[in-house]
Amino acid sequence: MGKFTYDINKYEPKQMVALPLGLLIISIIFLAFNTFSTGMPVEPGIDFAGGVAVTVFTTDSQEDIKAFFSDYPLKSIGESVNDGYYLVFDYLEDDKFRDLTKKVLDKYPDAKVDQIGETFGKTLQSQAVWALLIAFILMAIVVFVAFKSFVPSAAVVISAFSDIVITAALMDVFGISLSLGTTAALLMLIGYSVDSDILLTTRLLKRKGNLDEKLRGAFRTGFIMTTTTITAVFAMFVVTAVGQVVIIRDISAVLLIGLFVDMMNTWMLNAGLLKWYLTRKGGYRNGR
Amino acid sequence: MADEDSTISKILTDWRVIIMLFLVIFSIASIYLIPPNFDKGLEGNLQLGLDLEGGSWIQLSFQSEIVRYSSDMPQAQFVDQLSKKIDAEVIPVTADKIEIRKYYSEEDLQAIFDEFGAKIISYDQGVSKETAEDIKRILEDKVNTLGTQDARINTLSGLNEVTRYIRVELAGTDINTAQDLVSAQGKFEIRIQTEGNSTAHVLFGDAVTSVSTPTQNPPGSQNWGVGFTLSPEGADAFREASIKYDAVKNPQAHPLVMLLDGEVVYSAPLSESLAGKLVSGTVRDLSASTGSGPEALEEAKLLEIHLRAGALPVDVKIAGSGSVPAKLGDYFKIVCIIAAILALIAVAVTVYIRYKEPSIVLPMIMTNIAEIVILLGIARYIQQLDLASIAALVAVLGTGIDQLVVITDEVLHEGKVPSPNVYMKRFKRALIIITVAACTTIFAMLPLAVMDLSTLKGFALITIIGVLVGVLITRPAYGKIIMAILSKKPAR
Repeated sequence: MGKFTYDINKYEPKQMVALPLGLLIISIIFLAFNTFSTGMPVEPGIDFAGGVAVTVFTTDSQEDIKAFFSDYPLKSIGESVNDGYYLVFDYLEDDKFRDLTKKVLDKYPDAKVDQIGETFGKTLQSQAVWALLIAFILMAIVVFVAFKSFVPSAAVVISAFSDIVITAALMDVFGISLSLGTTAALLMLIGYSVDSDILLTTRLLKRKGNLDEKLRGAFRTGFIMTTTTITAVFAMFVVTAVGQVVIIRDISAVLLIGLFVDMMNTWMLNAGLLKWYLTRKGGYRNGR
Repeated sequence: MADEDSTISKILTDWRVIIMLFLVIFSIASIYLIPPNFDKGLEGNLQLGLDLEGGSWIQLSFQSEIVRYSSDMPQAQFVDQLSKKIDAEVIPVTADKIEIRKYYSEEDLQAIFDEFGAKIISYDQGVSKETAEDIKRILEDKVNTLGTQDARINTLSGLNEVTRYIRVELAGTDINTAQDLVSAQGKFEIRIQTEGNSTAHVLFGDAVTSVSTPTQNPPGSQNWGVGFTLSPEGADAFREASIKYDAVKNPQAHPLVMLLDGEVVYSAPLSESLAGKLVSGTVRDLSASTGSGPEALEEAKLLEIHLRAGALPVDVKIAGSGSVPAKLGDYFKIVCIIAAILALIAVAVTVYIRYKEPSIVLPMIMTNIAEIVILLGIARYIQQLDLASIAALVAVLGTGIDQLVVITDEVLHEGKVPSPNVYMKRFKRALIIITVAACTTIFAMLPLAVMDLSTLKGFALITIIGVLVGVLITRPAYGKIIMAILSKKPAR
């Protein structure tokens, strides 16, 4: 780890939390602005907005495809290196959808066609919001019960919250839409992010010893933890991006972004808050 | 050598390791041997989702609502009046809950309820569990008659016991066939026996305007039957045929025969009272009795389906649908396997870079593989693997190794294994970290697992099971393995 230059003990708590807090605030403003102007914090995919998605494998050019589907409300064309296209159409009424499926399957018999109705999309949307909210509250309860101490628990919860919010904002920047899969990934982030936060908090609160040393040790372990997860998810992302398995590609992209964001939040925001708490109380030598 | 022997026996006699090994063997057996399944290759007995197997799914939403209401009127009277007013079937569910089989928004419905001086207490789109089961049966019946392979039909109910959606999955069927299947109706015909074995046409299914659920006739008896109503034209044709072929005078010699797609599904003579009524005029409300007892009830249920000729008791709308061609499913399978293997290799390399010590890295990777195998073995019994659950599998692989790192770093303070006492203390602390982290993951996934966002259930369930397997079985076992292996090593 010689090349990695972040020395966790070199910085004052204020310096450590500045960047993540700044990003969190910018992300909140960004998502709020999105919600205000479009009704959704992140561009919804067909799962939530309703619509038709078609995956085809063909050497036809984009222009060919555009011309072929000129009668239908083609919204976007995603291309992959593997002669694959991911086409998204606006929602179509039943009859028109059946025409479209026939047309697609006549020309591309191996295409994958998915359709979600508008009302069903709305149902999914509200359920997803509930799932996120309940999951987050349950997570917070577990954390507070585990540490029974306000500031450290709050630090974990804030950094998990920040993970989700910044990742959601970055999803929009990278053009990843909110789908069932990416919602699941955001939920999974709750689990992932808390992993390293709990390691950090436990090491700092429950171990005896010098704060700087404990912090350095926790960082070493936490860093390798997160990097192994990142490599696993990265492998999954590369293979599925090349193979055009859209749902797994999106899930892994969100996890990947989230894991990097989590590294920052754990070792700057959460560690900073904890350091501030422990040095202020001055009681760290006894573990609590 | 003696040293190595004792290390291995120390590992193999620890109960945590024994449980882990037993589960690995059990899982491999579950996937490949119970029952033996070699011709399917790698996948064995694993249940694969549609997106890996190829096929189509259609999700239907019911144009119907369940309403809890309050009214001074007795329920029977209220239901009857409401049903006449809106010209749709209304069915009591419980003492203050009714199912209205026609779509109305809450506002429109309240306006109608106002006329009866009734109030809506709760309004949910969907049908009762019983109706949902009926619909499921009808759909299963249709799928079976078409001889399509492998169908899964699931009703999706919310926590409020109201079923809003039903999902039909047909493996190996393309989307057009699936759409036709759901909307197709069978040909229903009623004929009357004339001379000997010959029969004459009376009416077709289009003359049947409504069909009721099985009822007792008279109420409270065990005599079951299915009521149905004919259109005025149908009732005329029915009366004419009954008189023309002498069924009204000699019912026993001229029974009515009901056919669905050319097959006899019910046959019985007119009752004396019906024969009498038909002489003097047309009759629109008929009832086909199936006898008494529980068998008769089953028969009545089946007859109800036949009378509907595959038409569902509630209008449905397609809420979503999709298809994966079998070829693409096979391709996805390969991509997923490659992704999982590469993820495992990537993890192994990262861990190796960190520890540079095969005696740590090898047990770590083996434990991780054991975890995945056990997870798959359990999943084979409860959950089909679709693309989302495979993503969860790789995600679990990621957290799994994460936590093995926590254990290793926690116990290996300054590069050596401490005395057994200190070791156990640190090991326990590592397990506490892991358990808390696991609890948060499980709680984070819980809402997804219980909500009816059908396609994400797999993701959530696989994650939860994976975390449980890790915390309860593989990670404790790993702690003992690493302790036994490293306690033999001189400090580095």
